[in-house]
Amino acid sequence: MVKTRILKKAELGHLVDRLRKDFRVIGPTRKKSEHFLSVIHCPEDLDLKYVTTILPPRKLFLPPVENLCSFNSAGEAAPTDIETQRMLIFGIHSCDLNGLLLLDRVFGKDYPYPRYLERRRNSVIVAMTCTSVGETCFCDSMGTGPEPKAGYDILLTDLGEQFLVEVGTAEGDRLTSPMGWKEAERSDLELKKKILAEVKEKFKKRIDTDGLAEIFEKKLDHPLWKELADKDLACAQCVMSCPTCFCLDIRDQWSNVPGQTVRCVEWDACFLLEFAEVALGGNFRKERSARLRQFMGHNLSWGGAAQYGPINGQHKCVGCGRCIRVCPVGIDITEVAKEIRGS
Amino acid sequence: MKDPYLPNTAEIVDVKKQSYDTKTYRVRFVKEAIQTEFGPEPGQFVMISMPGLGEAPFSLSSGPERSDCFDTTIRAVGNLTGILNRCVVGTRIGVRGPYGKRWPLDKAKGLGVLVIAGGIGLAPLRPIIKTVQKNRDMYGTLEILYGARTPADEIFVDEYEEWKRIKDTTLSLTVDSVPKGVTWPHKVGVVTGLFDDMRTPAEDSIVMTCGPEIMMRFVARGLLARNFRRNQIYVSLERRMRCGMGHCGHCQIGSKFVCKDGPVFNYSELQGLPDLTL
Repeated sequence: MVKTRILKKAELGHLVDRLRKDFRVIGPTRKKSEHFLSVIHCPEDLDLKYVTTILPPRKLFLPPVENLCSFNSAGEAAPTDIETQRMLIFGIHSCDLNGLLLLDRVFGKDYPYPRYLERRRNSVIVAMTCTSVGETCFCDSMGTGPEPKAGYDILLTDLGEQFLVEVGTAEGDRLTSPMGWKEAERSDLELKKKILAEVKEKFKKRIDTDGLAEIFEKKLDHPLWKELADKDLACAQCVMSCPTCFCLDIRDQWSNVPGQTVRCVEWDACFLLEFAEVALGGNFRKERSARLRQFMGHNLSWGGAAQYGPINGQHKCVGCGRCIRVCPVGIDITEVAKEIRGS
Repeated sequence: MKDPYLPNTAEIVDVKKQSYDTKTYRVRFVKEAIQTEFGPEPGQFVMISMPGLGEAPFSLSSGPERSDCFDTTIRAVGNLTGILNRCVVGTRIGVRGPYGKRWPLDKAKGLGVLVIAGGIGLAPLRPIIKTVQKNRDMYGTLEILYGARTPADEIFVDEYEEWKRIKDTTLSLTVDSVPKGVTWPHKVGVVTGLFDDMRTPAEDSIVMTCGPEIMMRFVARGLLARNFRRNQIYVSLERRMRCGMGHCGHCQIGSKFVCKDGPVFNYSELQGLPDLTL
């Protein structure tokens, strides 16, 4: 039986302050018209009325660039330590939480990636039922939202004057039980259901995922790829803002310590020309249309469950809509899916 | 948890020139325990690095026949390989691995083994030849077809006589072109030009091939036309790889990661995939 409690909105600040004693608390903060996932220094920093943050939470577990190790002048490698302070992410939505659950597979299955996994182990997730559907959101149709189903320690749902608190793990219980909040009542749970039903009505975009993976595989030569490539800038902003894009580059550079070099790992993107280049100038995705197809196909066809087995939602795409928002030339993954499926 | 990205220090213990741009490096891990644990299988690869120059994947050209060192055969085509080409015995390099799926040498038991190589692609196939040589009774006939651009591009030339002496083994050579003044007693043309004289039957045999993708495409098609089945054919693919562990994403072909689902694939696994010319 899931433990459910009620947190009065007036007490949210108190909770955030309590959590900040034990954790580096990260949450959505507003800067001008956009939201960012940043460190919460005081409860007022937190703004839970948001659609999506500019970058997804993957940046907290896989920094855009970081050092793997350094080499002394004798060529001996020393690992670069990772931060040890526990992190708590407050207020992430279901799309992003499902994104993290997929990344857990990418970096946990077959070959564990300790840097990612260590940060995940060291983190607590306070997720939110999403009630703010944006113009580009389509998580509902991807099976990844608006309500988080797994992967959270604590789940909050905005019921108006108060939050419904659902406890997902022992850690979530440890953090909420001493707070003295009253138990939720059946009417609170009913209210959540009603709110969710209303939220689901708000989606303007959707992808029909039925058999979509197979349809993509059969339409590798669809003329759409070349048509879109004509306007596509291959700027990779979609990749950078994607909660499940995991591609990395590894390269060496000189450090500021004389004689020392560092090996760093940084975000990379299949949209970039050099991504699939090999020795002697061979390039397996030289054409922009091939790179566009790779991004779309990986998100809607051959990624996700095809690579990692059953997941929440079968696809790599979790429907956060960021790629649509950031695309400078208006390429829309939901329209691509529709076009590829055909009428 | 030990960070699998940390390279282990290894030392080049021998360098052997194969051609004008290719050398075989015999490498040994500095720490004996790491060398003992290493245990590579034919067809696997390692990530080799030099501080400041970065890391790249290289096939192993030796198999489990030696446990005190391993061989990798490298053609100088870029920054890291260019520097490696100038390395001498005693140079220390970083190595991690081995990674990837091996050649199906268990499945090959009792079958005729057909090895088809193009250029530097002979390097990851050499452990197959070594394995068949060492366990000669376990396999049927061994036939090696090798194509290179010119006679000067051939590698492992000094081993051909030894290979030919392996019981029930044939080696056929071809080159795309022969420069003026060079004597070449073998065939001229692409490697599929050797198919007409091929002795390995389509029945009860297995094919393992590595070379440029375009070569493997014609090899596979040529074999299918000679009644070989797709599932008899194994290819080793080349892709950009940064990690070797399915993290970096560069080597993906559809849902496959060449680094961990390959580099050795059964040809039937590779049908209908994007960005593949096979």
